[in-house]
Amino acid sequence: MFCIISFIVLSILGIFSASNRELAREALDCVLRRVTLRPCTTGFDEKMKARILGVVITRSEGAARFLNRNFERLAWLFFGLLLASVIFAVRGLFLFYTTGSCNGANSTEFCVFDPTGANNQVSTTSQVCTIPVTPAQMTLNLKKIDLTQFPTLNPGSGDNLFMIACYHCEFSRKTYPIIRSLVDRFHIGLTFIHYPVKEPTDSFSKLAYCVNQLQPDKFWSFNDLMFEGDKANLDDPTYINGLLGKAGVDAKKVNACIADPATETAVKKQMEQVASTGFTGTPTIFYKDQVFVGPKPYRVYAIALRGFFYWLR
Amino acid sequence: MDINKIRLDFPFFAQNSTKKPQIYLDTACQSLRPQVVLDAMNRYYQLEPACGGRSMHHLSAAVSKQVDETRMAAARFFHASRKEEIIFTRNTTEGINIVANSLGLAAGDTVVISGKEHNSNLIPWQMLVRRAGINLKIIPPLPDGTFNIQEFEQFIASGVKLVSLGMTSNLDGVTIPAAEVVKAAHRAGALVLLDAAQAAPHRPIDVRSLDVDFLALSGHKMLGPSGTGILYGKYALLEKLSPFLVGGDTVATSTYDSCEFLPPPEKFEAGLQDYAGIYGLKAAFEYIQKVGFDFIQKQETSLNEFITGEISSLPGLTILGPADPKLRGGIINFTIEGIDSHRIALMLDQMAGVMVRSGQHCVHSWFNDRQIKGSVRASTYFYNTLEEAAVFVENLKKIRKVL
Ligand SMILES: Cc1ncc(COP(=O)(O)O)c(C=O)c1O
Repeated sequence: MFCIISFIVLSILGIFSASNRELAREALDCVLRRVTLRPCTTGFDEKMKARILGVVITRSEGAARFLNRNFERLAWLFFGLLLASVIFAVRGLFLFYTTGSCNGANSTEFCVFDPTGANNQVSTTSQVCTIPVTPAQMTLNLKKIDLTQFPTLNPGSGDNLFMIACYHCEFSRKTYPIIRSLVDRFHIGLTFIHYPVKEPTDSFSKLAYCVNQLQPDKFWSFNDLMFEGDKANLDDPTYINGLLGKAGVDAKKVNACIADPATETAVKKQMEQVASTGFTGTPTIFYKDQVFVGPKPYRVYAIALRGFFYWLR
Repeated sequence: MDINKIRLDFPFFAQNSTKKPQIYLDTACQSLRPQVVLDAMNRYYQLEPACGGRSMHHLSAAVSKQVDETRMAAARFFHASRKEEIIFTRNTTEGINIVANSLGLAAGDTVVISGKEHNSNLIPWQMLVRRAGINLKIIPPLPDGTFNIQEFEQFIASGVKLVSLGMTSNLDGVTIPAAEVVKAAHRAGALVLLDAAQAAPHRPIDVRSLDVDFLALSGHKMLGPSGTGILYGKYALLEKLSPFLVGGDTVATSTYDSCEFLPPPEKFEAGLQDYAGIYGLKAAFEYIQKVGFDFIQKQETSLNEFITGEISSLPGLTILGPADPKLRGGIINFTIEGIDSHRIALMLDQMAGVMVRSGQHCVHSWFNDRQIKGSVRASTYFYNTLEEAAVFVENLKKIRKVL
């Protein structure tokens, strides 16, 4: 047992140092001899035990005595712990690959592969932070929302993504181009709604609503332009007017629509519907029964859409 | 002699101040070397890197001269009658093999050894038992490890060709009464070969007054370079022996079907020699002479007395050999009941950089006969200090207490 655990540990350490590689080789030798039921003639286990004892005894005689008496038992214990941590590590790696979080979809618990938690950050209504609730508590769903009232790209494709995002928010801006390229690559539908998680962006809800109402065929050109360039530009009305022009939208008509009180009412109703999904920040993306909160890597959405081997398609 | 001054001559101790402490108690395996030995070797490689004996140019002449001087130094060191009695070898093992295979031992001839021989003085004879049909008589040691001279004298009278004994044992440091052995053997018409691997570094040997016929030793156990050794043989005997390792440099001339061997020692020194080693060996002999065997023995005895006094009463600890440390030279070899010898050695190294040897020390036959797995051997030399011995003792006590 001691040889086996030493082999595993030293193999890992061997990645960093040649002397550990040499010891790992000896440990393997020892393992193989054990496995074939020949006596362990390398003396490797004795060597390691003595070295460990030699280190421990200089610090604590009691600990050395305990170690000496329980060597094999401790080796089994460590083997168990090692096995458990390997299983957890593999599970974490798999979850990270498929969901962007080590601890399951949208979990904000610490993840070594994403130490800053970048994959789960969202812009909440008040500030930029990580979502304050864990996914288990969330009851995100599209049951109470009428998706037909929102602009939809590739309608009738069967598959549909619903994206709640915010033009002015960093994480939404990071995610949008990914979603756009996936939509193009796999020919799926995309329903988009701007949600003003930051107060000054309220007007963008009306802007998007009006563009979609007046010139739905130009909405996606407009939408793509809204996510391009520096987000600070969006604070400049002349930039917005120029952007509308670039998208082929009549800016005058749009501005009139924005000023119309009926627009205010319609948008408010829409926002209430969006809030009914239970979402807490942007970006939030719904696909079938899955929800993605925060900016996930490309592969996470792609796996959700086309499976683990999406890259073969 | 000031030990601190002596230690300055050894580069090994100089590095100790910068690295983790190292306490070398494994001289029975190989000794440390003073700078003069390293300088002599470097002189060969840097300034005189040529063949000795073969070529005519001045560099070759310089090497030949140095080889000759080392031979003379060795002859003086061991009080040989003439330098031609000194044969350069790689080690003690080679020296013993030369005698075993050149003496022309035949079926029915008897060779006597003791029950405590290093493999180097056992296996060559075992091979002759198998190949030539000689008889091998083993004289078991007395219970305290000392030589059983009575049994030896009784047996020798029955007609023996050769007596081959370890002069000082690497197992327990016991030295046999070599003069008595030689006398008894000669009375019975037997030749005597002494394995002086552990004796030559620690005591003066006068081959003439001992009247020993052959003496084999290793340079690396007495401050010399690794892989150097000497076989002494009485000239008249060497002349009669037919060399067993032959080839270049052993013959004066050859035809397609015959050759004419050179006289001793050349006929035993086949092939190109370890010239750097030979240069270093001379420096080693000179250094030991400068230190003197009085100091060497005094220092070893005081270290052995101190260590023995400190550890002999540790529970479960048994010192191999006689209780009196004066009879064990620089060697303290022991077992501790229930603790593997390798574990002790590795722990000492890990804990305090104390280097000792563990296992069966190439005397497997003795251990196997007694079904002992192994022992721990600390072997000291004149360059070891009481402080070093104290560190060894302190850490050994800790191991005993904890394990
Ligand atoms: C008593 C004795 N004889 C022979 C030898 C063999 O010496 P070498 O290995 O130098 O040939 C040793 C080495 O430890 C020894 O102690």
